[in-house]
Amino acid sequence: MKYHIITLGCQMNLSDTGRTKPVIESMGYEWTDNEDEAQLVGILACSVRQKAIDKVYARIHKWNRAKNQRNLLTFVTGCILPADREKFLKLFDIVFPMSELQELPEMIRQNGIVTPVSLKVVNQQEDLVFRNERVEQLKRSAAGLKLNEHMSDFWHINPAYESKFEAFVPIQNGCDKFCTFCAVPYTRGREVSRPSTEILEEVKNLVEQDYKSITLLGQNVNSYGLDKKGEEVSFPELLRLIGKMGKASGKEFWVYFTSPHPRDMTDEVIEVVAQYDCLAKQIHLPGQSGDDKVLIRMNRKHNMEKYRHIVHTIRKLIPRATLFTDIIVGFTGETDEQFENTRRIMEEFKYNMAYIAQYSVRPGATSSRWDDDVPKEVKKQRYHTLTEDLMKTSHEHNKAMVGKTYRVLVRGKERKGEFLSGLTEGRINVRIPSTDMSLVGQIVDIKINSATEFSLAGDLINQTELQSA
Amino acid sequence: METITHNKYTVKKIRELTKSTYVVRMERNGMAFIPGQNLNLGLAGDTEKRDYSIYSRKKDDYLEILVKEVEDGLVSKQLKRINPGDALEVDGPFGFFTLKEEHLYSKKFLFISSGTGIAPFHSITGSFPEIDFTLLHGVRYLDETYEKHDYPDDRYISCISQEAGGDFHGRVTDYIKQHPVDKDTLCYLCGNVNMIYDVFDILKEQGVPSENLHAEVYF
Ligand SMILES: Cc1cc2nc3c(=O)[nH]c(=O)nc-3n(C[C@H](O)[C@H](O)[C@H](O)COP(=O)(O)OP(=O)(O)OC[C@H]3O[C@@H](n4cnc5c(N)ncnc54)[C@H](O)[C@@H]3O)c2cc1C
Ligand code: SF4
Repeated sequence: MKYHIITLGCQMNLSDTGRTKPVIESMGYEWTDNEDEAQLVGILACSVRQKAIDKVYARIHKWNRAKNQRNLLTFVTGCILPADREKFLKLFDIVFPMSELQELPEMIRQNGIVTPVSLKVVNQQEDLVFRNERVEQLKRSAAGLKLNEHMSDFWHINPAYESKFEAFVPIQNGCDKFCTFCAVPYTRGREVSRPSTEILEEVKNLVEQDYKSITLLGQNVNSYGLDKKGEEVSFPELLRLIGKMGKASGKEFWVYFTSPHPRDMTDEVIEVVAQYDCLAKQIHLPGQSGDDKVLIRMNRKHNMEKYRHIVHTIRKLIPRATLFTDIIVGFTGETDEQFENTRRIMEEFKYNMAYIAQYSVRPGATSSRWDDDVPKEVKKQRYHTLTEDLMKTSHEHNKAMVGKTYRVLVRGKERKGEFLSGLTEGRINVRIPSTDMSLVGQIVDIKINSATEFSLAGDLINQTELQSA
Repeated sequence: METITHNKYTVKKIRELTKSTYVVRMERNGMAFIPGQNLNLGLAGDTEKRDYSIYSRKKDDYLEILVKEVEDGLVSKQLKRINPGDALEVDGPFGFFTLKEEHLYSKKFLFISSGTGIAPFHSITGSFPEIDFTLLHGVRYLDETYEKHDYPDDRYISCISQEAGGDFHGRVTDYIKQHPVDKDTLCYLCGNVNMIYDVFDILKEQGVPSENLHAEVYF
């Protein structure tokens, strides 16, 4: 029997897919790339973007039509708004919050599909109790509540990593920040931290398997532990433990974290990153806007003074760190003057990379009930202006790397031409003229010989060249 | 399977303050909150939910919210029609619009609100009556001063823009221009975004540093 999953949305959903696959495979299902030959099809949905939700509806209508021709079971999980969840209940056979993933085999069995695992005998009374509990539970999830009740079970599942050298390790799920433009707090529920012992074990296993790039994942990584009120280590402490483990391993690998929130970013986090080699010298610090009033309306709970302090601390303690950010242009009510303040921070902080988005209404977010009053053309214009600003600073950074040698993780072959592509520790793309696939997954020395706005090119230097240099 | 803890809260009482503004009292269900935080709630079984600041005090054995019925609004209208005994679905408490414990008795506070934006300050001042605060409340008409007797007379200043008879005739912005704010005062702004933006500019001009400004935008 075959299964197929469609993953929509962000890295968190991708990471969750890695945990969903082994659960389904433990029932005897085999993966297929072709959804038309699968007997079990599922979606890891993302209610956060309307486009992604439209895709879910398109798919489920297609699958429901296909049910006339073949035996097919459908499920949906992931980031789902309460209103969407209600509708999905009528369209999908199985709807469940990710935290209940471990119960998926039982849910499939309840839907009458026979699999090697589901053949265990359960009496009718148990079936009835299960169904009633399930209906109650789904009603509660439909109201958007307690989505994370069973997160600890979910984290126990051993994931199937997509790559042999890069992995995402979830450390926290949910968000309590309620930025007004974002629906994540309503789709993923409250912040829940994964036990540090489990995180450390997963990271240790990855290091033992020679993974080179490990990203600690969460909606708000640096509020890690706060929900446990003193019964769990803090985020800097977690980083310190990973740093110590990395040092003891004697191996070369890079640990990243995304996304932190400026509100909870302490000097201690930056000090720890500076202290340990395995903690990658790349910081992603979402700013969203450079204007204090826009930040208030976004309910970001940080202001430019706080943000500036963090950037200065990064520059002081880790001068070689690359700095990435997220910016939204054209948020409700954003004036020309407020946008100019955002331009100023691009100039001031000289980001290596900025993920710039034109504001679009996210269903379910607080701002979805406010006027989306910045005209489309203005948003577009601001987007282009800011991108140009970014290109100037990122180009400057990249040009300064030319002629120097950097450690680069080779990630694969480029789609066109005879090139490999890789990432520096600071996550800048590097193109390498080589087709030697044995380098993929290794960290090698690359001498940078040219730079564009968003990427570098360089040659592999072998050990002898390096020693004679 | 774990048992489900219910988040249904039974409505105990509705208190009408004006034709459009009312207080909903519901059971507390042991909810712990920090004054200034808000709830996310709606009718039981309905997926539409909205945020409402907690209006009641820490020591009360009930929870209250202060709601203004919004023209063409959905939830604020639904809530107006509920009766004692009805159930609400409540999630929370959320938010960071709270006072730092170490500031409580060492700092001076200026609370600036418009309309129902007074709700978190009702909870804060009722829960910490000993703090050194001034509360500015900007509304259009006299009857919108809601339950002003809950605040000490010398600390509550109504700024009424459309009629005379309040403590100050004009907007909160006019009041602040005429009564400059000391830069060490911790200022908390809550309500409509236009009021918040205007006050923000004036306070910055008067030299209040960003770190002393906190705001909660309702709409
Ligand atoms: C953190 C937070 C706390 C809040 N606390 C309170 C509170 O304590 N009391 C309270 O009454 N409201 C509060 N609100 C506003 C509340 O969440 C709802 O937006 C409001 O009740 C309208 O909901 P609705 O479903 O009736 O209207 P919707 O159908 O959502 O339509 C709302 C429209 O009315 C506008 N609007 C929202 N509030 C008002 C208002 N007070 N006056 C005029 N127009 C408005 C919105 O911008 C929007 O255009 C709070 C909002 C936030 C973000
Ligand atoms: S911090 Fe803000 S943007 Fe990030 S997930 Fe939470 S609400 Fe969304």
